Amino acid sequence: MLRHEADDQAAEIIGLLDEFQAAERAGAEAVDHWVTVCRDARLRGGLKVIRTRDRGHACLAEERLRALGGTPSASVGRQLASLLAMLGSDDVSDRTKLVALLDRFPGELEDPLAEVVRRIDHDDETRSLLATIADDERAGVAWLRRMRETLEQERE
Amino acid sequence: MLRFLDSLRAAEAAGAAVVDAWVAVCPLPSLRGGLRTIAEREAGHAALLEERLRELGGTCDAVVPDAMRGAAVGRFGSPAVADEEKLALVLARYPEETTVRRPIVHVLDQLDPDLETRELLRLVAEGEGATVAWLRAYHASLGG
Repeated sequence: MLRHEADDQAAEIIGLLDEFQAAERAGAEAVDHWVTVCRDARLRGGLKVIRTRDRGHACLAEERLRALGGTPSASVGRQLASLLAMLGSDDVSDRTKLVALLDRFPGELEDPLAEVVRRIDHDDETRSLLATIADDERAGVAWLRRMRETLEQERE
Repeated sequence: MLRFLDSLRAAEAAGAAVVDAWVAVCPLPSLRGGLRTIAEREAGHAALLEERLRELGGTCDAVVPDAMRGAAVGRFGSPAVADEEKLALVLARYPEETTVRRPIVHVLDQLDPDLETRELLRLVAEGEGATVAWLRAYHASLGG
């Protein structure tokens, strides 16, 4: 790979890590609010794990970002901020929150990190860091789907 | 149940310390990145278990014996021990994902009245399985 291509990818990776750490940090905060108002004990237990993992992912991404010479500065977009505000609301049912959150992960978008991981070809540490974080994300989404199905069956 | 949560908390905290020590001397970037996530995952599990334990009125009393913890940190934190050997040690202890998940999965059925702890432990168990699966895949990629 030519030197300038490696530099271009380093800049791209720093940008991706910055966006990711901001999203994970905001997500952890929103899920933490959800936990405090969640009425279902089963959901609360899993949400605590997802919150703690998101918080950890934000720290890992920020640490890697700084190791690559970057500085965290990203903030979440308006659409995500709106969803996160809804998750922490006391006026919205748990089922509605689950549906809204899982709408972000339809089918092939289940693993949004996969494409990023595939594109990284000269930074093995970041690639394996994100690949293992993706394992946590997939497990969290799969568990949320199971909970959504359970709540829907109980509603019928 | 409180004793189980406390023992698991202590084991996860010790596991995080061991993997942190490994990260500090690991020369392979592709392994180091995954180990960083695994160390964070273990530390997160320890924090979750402590939080739940305290909510249930328990206290953190369990400790991994110093000699055991020190030996593990010493071995995995040694640059003289090859990464392949460290991977083989972990995988010999947990040859399958089910091996590492089993002790946790075993108690899930006993937690019917405490559904919050049950779901928390279910995801912790899945995380443990993911760790072993990733380490096995990495070891296989080395030809191990």
